[in-house]
Amino acid sequence: MLEIKNLHVKLEDEDREILKGLSLTVPKGEVHAIMGPNGSGKSTLAYVLAGRDGYEVTDGDILWNGESILDMEPDERAAKGVFLAFQYPMEIPGVAGLTFLRTALNSIRKKRGEAELTTPAFLKLAKEKGAKLNIDIEMLKRPVNVGFSGGEKKRSEILQMGLLEPTLCVLDETDSGLDIDALRIVSEGVNALRSPDRAFLVITHYQRLLNYIVPDKVHVLADGRIQKTGGKELALELEKSGYAEYSNKAA
Amino acid sequence: MNVAVMKTKAEQAISESFEAAAAKLPGSAPVKARRAEAIGTFGGLGLPHRRIEEWKYTDLRANLKEVLPAAVEDKTPLSIGELIVALGPLAHVDAHRIVFVNGHHRADLSDIADAKGLAISTIGKALQSASEEAVASLASTPAGGDAVEALNTAFMTDGAIVDVTKGASIAKPLLIVFVRAGSEANAVTVRNLITVGEGASATIVEANVVLPGAVRDAHLNVLAEVSVGKGATLNHVRSAVDEGKSLHLSNCEVTMAVDATYRGFQFSSNLGFARHGANILFDGEGGKLDLSGAYLARGSEHVDNTLVVDHAVPHCESRELFKGVLDGHGRGVFQGKVIVRPDAQKTDGKQMSQALMLSEDAEFDSKPELEIYADDVVCGHGTTSAELDSDLLFYCRSRGIPEKEARALMIESFIGEALDKVEHEGLREALASYAMQWLGRSPRG
Repeated sequence: MLEIKNLHVKLEDEDREILKGLSLTVPKGEVHAIMGPNGSGKSTLAYVLAGRDGYEVTDGDILWNGESILDMEPDERAAKGVFLAFQYPMEIPGVAGLTFLRTALNSIRKKRGEAELTTPAFLKLAKEKGAKLNIDIEMLKRPVNVGFSGGEKKRSEILQMGLLEPTLCVLDETDSGLDIDALRIVSEGVNALRSPDRAFLVITHYQRLLNYIVPDKVHVLADGRIQKTGGKELALELEKSGYAEYSNKAA
Repeated sequence: MNVAVMKTKAEQAISESFEAAAAKLPGSAPVKARRAEAIGTFGGLGLPHRRIEEWKYTDLRANLKEVLPAAVEDKTPLSIGELIVALGPLAHVDAHRIVFVNGHHRADLSDIADAKGLAISTIGKALQSASEEAVASLASTPAGGDAVEALNTAFMTDGAIVDVTKGASIAKPLLIVFVRAGSEANAVTVRNLITVGEGASATIVEANVVLPGAVRDAHLNVLAEVSVGKGATLNHVRSAVDEGKSLHLSNCEVTMAVDATYRGFQFSSNLGFARHGANILFDGEGGKLDLSGAYLARGSEHVDNTLVVDHAVPHCESRELFKGVLDGHGRGVFQGKVIVRPDAQKTDGKQMSQALMLSEDAEFDSKPELEIYADDVVCGHGTTSAELDSDLLFYCRSRGIPEKEARALMIESFIGEALDKVEHEGLREALASYAMQWLGRSPRG
């Protein structure tokens, strides 16, 4: 279970507070969506969950399975099952996708006390998981994400997620830059990972993604706080009325 | 008019070292005369220092304080097993090899029995019997040679003479291995003469390696004179890997005939203070040059790559890519001069030098120099220096890769682009393994 308690976050080198007492609970097995206007703190929440530098948590806590992750390095969090699918996945020139994936997977396995996968075993696994996302082995021999289209990058994020088998999946604007076919493939990839042991936090600006990844709950984030929580129908409401109501509240 | 030249202690000591060594250095009378002449040339030039433009960033005079005795003979025992240890990743490359220990040929460690198409002999032997005519090619200081090359003529003890037979295509690389071993700190001076016959192709590696446990202080002076014949191809890898304290001075003089291809690669890691020079002359039209390199330096290590590419004739192409990784107080120097002579129309030259700075105290000095006298040419150059990208680091770490490994992965990817210039897969992997060792990672299995 993910428990975010009264989280206050500011930028390290700026005094502006971005998250102003955000509280949220996502039980295992559930998919929660976070929707909100631009600048509401959605991406900050994603980055703080993953442990990116540059943010300072001034108050509150984040517990994953009852354990605070705030003092953990990003790779320790990954080993604890935290995974962030980036809004803009990075390109890593000179590092083959397969090398990257194998290094990541074996790092995590090592931290979890599991044996490292041999090269043939890993290749088989990568092939299998890639096929479901229309990613062939040739694509994985190329440097990570270099020259990939927006859709290919997002598919490659979901492949990473599928291989690393995290238990807390945070998807940051995964729908941005996707056409309808790519959106379908990516959503199917995500849905295939839904399980009673896994919690999802799906961050999005638009309701569209939630037609494909149907959430158990929808939270409205505005002005650094959860302003409203409801069922999946809340997303449809927002699509109609926009975020004006919450922005006013913020002002 | 008499000009009294002020000599530094080291310069004085080098002259004295020559007096002490002269009788034991190999060579016929004409060779001895050339050596004496060369030490005289050195006496006039002195050790290059920072007020000489070409040595501005690499002050040899300031860094060569203590002169080590010349390695005029060697009795260091070295077994095949130790040779393999010294070679490290290069031992896995299926290759012909000729081996020198502390600057002296060791037939028992060499393996050139089935080297068809290659005529291999040694400088040491050739010098003993060299006639007046032979001396010109064997023991001369290259035209325009500097003090370091003059010292090479004066002190050289041995090295390989390699002739690639006209039209021969040599599949296996030839390793010319220089091993540092033993507990005596000395100055090793060697020379290689490489001639690639018309239409021939070969891969030749000059590998400077050290046996773990050898004395860490050492001076090395290596000169390669290379001639690539008409339509011939030479892949020439110069690799120097040591233990962080040695002084490496190397030079490579290359002449390229019509339609010749020369692919030179300089790899350096763990060298205390190094200067690698490469002078390339396009002597015939249609030449294709790729001159690249990778170097890694930390602590107070210093690596200088100084290149002069002379487009003396039209229709030639040159590519240069050097990448350096600098940590601690490590310092990288890149000087790349490209001369395009008035007649050298349709010259196509590109140069890139990049450094990855891993610490605040690292230093990178890059000096591209384009001297273009022709008007119908395409020439470009670039230099970059940057730190590791913190966003990329975060991306890797968010996938579970620990910081140290994530950094290593990114450094490998940086250096990998230069290593890709080495066409021979086994050699490329061996150099990548050296780089990984530098990073404290075991080679990928």
